[in-house]
Amino acid sequence: MGKLLATRLISLLPLLFLVSLLTFSLTALLPQEPAALKVGDNATPEALHEARKELGTDRPWVVQYGDWAGNAVTGDLGHSYFSSVPVTRQIGDRIGITLSLTAVALLISIIVGVGAGILAAVYRGSPIDRVATVGASIGTATPAFWLAMFLASQFAVRWHIFDATGYVRPSESISGWLKSLVMPATALGLAGAATLARQTRSAMIGVLGREYVRTALASGLPRRKVITRYALKNALGPVLTVLGFQVTFLIGSSFVVEKVFGIEGLGSLAVNAVLRHDAPVIQGLVIVIAIVVVVVNLLLDMLYGWVNPKVRAS
Amino acid sequence: MSEIAVEGGTVLAPEEMRESSSVWRRLRANRAAMVAAVVLILILAATIFASLLAPYSPDKQQLLNSLASPSKAHWLGTDDKGRDTYSRLLFAGRVAFEVSFLSVGIAVLVGVPIGLFVGLRGGWWDRIVMRVVDAIMTIPPLVSILALVGVLGVGIRNTAIALGVVFSTGFLRLTRGEVLAVREEAFVDAARVTGLSNRRIMWRHILPVAAPPLIVQATLMLGAAMLAEAGLSFLGVGVQVPDASWGSMLASAQAVATINTFVAIPPGLAILVSVLCLNLVGDGIRDAMARDAPAGLFSRRRRLRVAGLLSAIPANQPLVRVGDQVASPPALLEVSGLSIGFVVNSRMLPAVSDISFAVAAGETVALVGESGCGKTITALTIPGLLPPPGTITSGTITFGGNDLLDLDATEMSKVRGRDIGMVFQEPGACLNPAFTVGDQIAAPLRTHLGLSKRAARARAIELMERVGIPNPERRIGQFPHEFSGGMAQRVMIAIALACEPKLLIADEPTTALDVTVQNQVLDLIASLRDELGMGVVFVTHDLAVVADLADRAVVLYAGQVVESGPVAAIFSDPKHPYTRALMRSVPRNEPRSTDLVGIAGSVPQLGAWPVGCRFAPRCELATDECRALPIQMDRDGDHEFRCIHVRDRLPEAVGSQA
Repeated sequence: MGKLLATRLISLLPLLFLVSLLTFSLTALLPQEPAALKVGDNATPEALHEARKELGTDRPWVVQYGDWAGNAVTGDLGHSYFSSVPVTRQIGDRIGITLSLTAVALLISIIVGVGAGILAAVYRGSPIDRVATVGASIGTATPAFWLAMFLASQFAVRWHIFDATGYVRPSESISGWLKSLVMPATALGLAGAATLARQTRSAMIGVLGREYVRTALASGLPRRKVITRYALKNALGPVLTVLGFQVTFLIGSSFVVEKVFGIEGLGSLAVNAVLRHDAPVIQGLVIVIAIVVVVVNLLLDMLYGWVNPKVRAS
Repeated sequence: MSEIAVEGGTVLAPEEMRESSSVWRRLRANRAAMVAAVVLILILAATIFASLLAPYSPDKQQLLNSLASPSKAHWLGTDDKGRDTYSRLLFAGRVAFEVSFLSVGIAVLVGVPIGLFVGLRGGWWDRIVMRVVDAIMTIPPLVSILALVGVLGVGIRNTAIALGVVFSTGFLRLTRGEVLAVREEAFVDAARVTGLSNRRIMWRHILPVAAPPLIVQATLMLGAAMLAEAGLSFLGVGVQVPDASWGSMLASAQAVATINTFVAIPPGLAILVSVLCLNLVGDGIRDAMARDAPAGLFSRRRRLRVAGLLSAIPANQPLVRVGDQVASPPALLEVSGLSIGFVVNSRMLPAVSDISFAVAAGETVALVGESGCGKTITALTIPGLLPPPGTITSGTITFGGNDLLDLDATEMSKVRGRDIGMVFQEPGACLNPAFTVGDQIAAPLRTHLGLSKRAARARAIELMERVGIPNPERRIGQFPHEFSGGMAQRVMIAIALACEPKLLIADEPTTALDVTVQNQVLDLIASLRDELGMGVVFVTHDLAVVADLADRAVVLYAGQVVESGPVAAIFSDPKHPYTRALMRSVPRNEPRSTDLVGIAGSVPQLGAWPVGCRFAPRCELATDECRALPIQMDRDGDHEFRCIHVRDRLPEAVGSQA
């Protein structure tokens, strides 16, 4: 297992290298050179020259990339054009918020989506199946942030069950933390659950038609056990694949949903950076999120080997 | 299972399903997709003709009339600046659709040509481009779009460009995949040999194949683009004032969310309905082009209680009963008057009619016949594994003094695996790939006998040894893919016999195996039968196997018993012309051969059985009398047969093949 993990980690290096290269070359698309952005439109040529030197943009492209990537490896993502706080700190302050929101949302979408998918497959053609299928269709078409607005208007504004805005850090209060996450994570999670439910349903229907399920029934295992202990593990393969996409979907959507609840996660950082062409912050965000996604997919790969021993062997 | 698949297939899935005219027909038959298409066209038309339909200018502010409720003057009320929500909705929709179409257009124009190029070119180009695509897809789409908008600058045009670039990766991968798939096919090689250029090959062969999945992808991406645009405009980086899209309308609704919740509803619903319709149309196109999914095997058996369905059974079913005969040893299993049908388009197609036979302890009864004769369905029905849409229409299955058809699902699962074991064909497919063989052998031991994990493991090792798997301590922890076909079938036998059942049902257990392995498996079944004193129901199309293994044979044709009796009697004096034809065509070294030497034609399709003798169309002895009425069972001692020409059969056919 350790050896497998090590080889997987090494094989990820070229991918991360490409991501960093793409991210770095984003600056080439800026409408103005970084130094001009930093000093503003009314700066003197001397100030501009000074800024170029400070940013290092007067050096060759390859040297700039090497410098940036080298620093990034040591955890230094540079400085914002407009603030003295290091990008690494800015991201570090907020990433916990985005990750906890995404993780709770993922949990909700797995419970709701996989559960509904199994029920729909087992009771295929029944009213349960129809409700789940229609629900999933509507769910995939619903903007998560609109669902979030709806939840906020009902549970916070009308019934005062939850606070409409704000985030409580787990270090302050665990229960307060969970309470502040319930609504945003539910809105995010339900949107994700729709896709998972569809995938689980079709994977499960495929598995339930397989010969080995008949074998399990023929050896007298009760229906419920055949579904939960045997068929589910077979159906998890395609579900895990979708789960990988779900994680990227949820991280992206969390950027929008957090605005509804006034939560200051990576989303608000990103929007502020976007509005000001603050390239170092944008680049830092992209790299950090890519690493998160890669790590999550690595974990999913390991799980995939568990549900599909054939893959593990090869 | 192949038998059922074939029968289901002939009824449900005609060959021409993939032709384009039937794709269109199936799409039109998909009500949800058609309704969605109509709604989508209406919404599109409404946004295109917004300036004609909108009662107000979308930007006309009436600050004294802000956040008004819906009224005659303002159908959907007004927003925080007193602008008419209905009018704004129409104009904002135009922006939403424009961005969606523009971005998907960009995605297609960027993704498809690159996908075609790298797919055809292959080599380093392919490797490098695909690695870059992987890298882009690592980043959540919304984050990459934000990053691109961040450097390009905010606004609706840059949002569309960013969306298009990010979404192009999906089109690129899809196109490349289609190119690679088509390249595998022979006709492209043939085209290349005849000297067609890559460009000609592309236009003539690849684009027609790749176009349908691309259309589906484009439709679905329109929905995804609309959702993404709404999110970005909500964040304030998409559409900029004074323009509005549904997303930015939601942003201004969010600003007044604590005062008024209604303003958020119309734009949100507009997004939901538009995206839903796009998805439904996309799914509809995809479903119309896909083949039918195979029917599931997972069913609960039930006796048919619907009167309307029963009345749909043709009245010409023979009603001969042979149950009044006293079997010499007390029967372990007695199948009596069993009829099974398949419900297809709420019509009942009979698959098996009035089958009766009995199995005593220690006795082997073979069910013999070609594919499609109903032998596998009969075998599966005994332990309650008849797959849908199969339904039992009449009969009893008495086992150990109980009618198995009266047991509920829980009671039945206690009989299965404990008192009745089953072995199927294709052992590779019958073992669960995600569990070790040890787990699978132990499952019935733990379920039925309540053995502990350790005791079940020890017993599983014994069983593996007993069925002749060398080195069981090591192999118990292995997965099915590490077993050869013969060894996998031994594992299946170990599972079936784990609880020492009284009855073993073996459905063509050797069909998928090598000839040498076939004999080993047959010997194993015979020795275990003698050791445990089990009754065996053995389904096969191979008369050589019947002669080796069985005490009695039941010959099935088109869902009917045509001859049954002791194997010795049937082999020395076959009465039915079908039995004699089977004997002439013993398909020894061709496990999958189902053609009968010497008789033309094939088993009639489900629901197309003749009124009279079902074998008449293929029988050299058939007369008008055979075709007129159902043929009754005749009997010579305990040798039964369903033929009226037995007494005057042709001289050269008499016993010459026995």
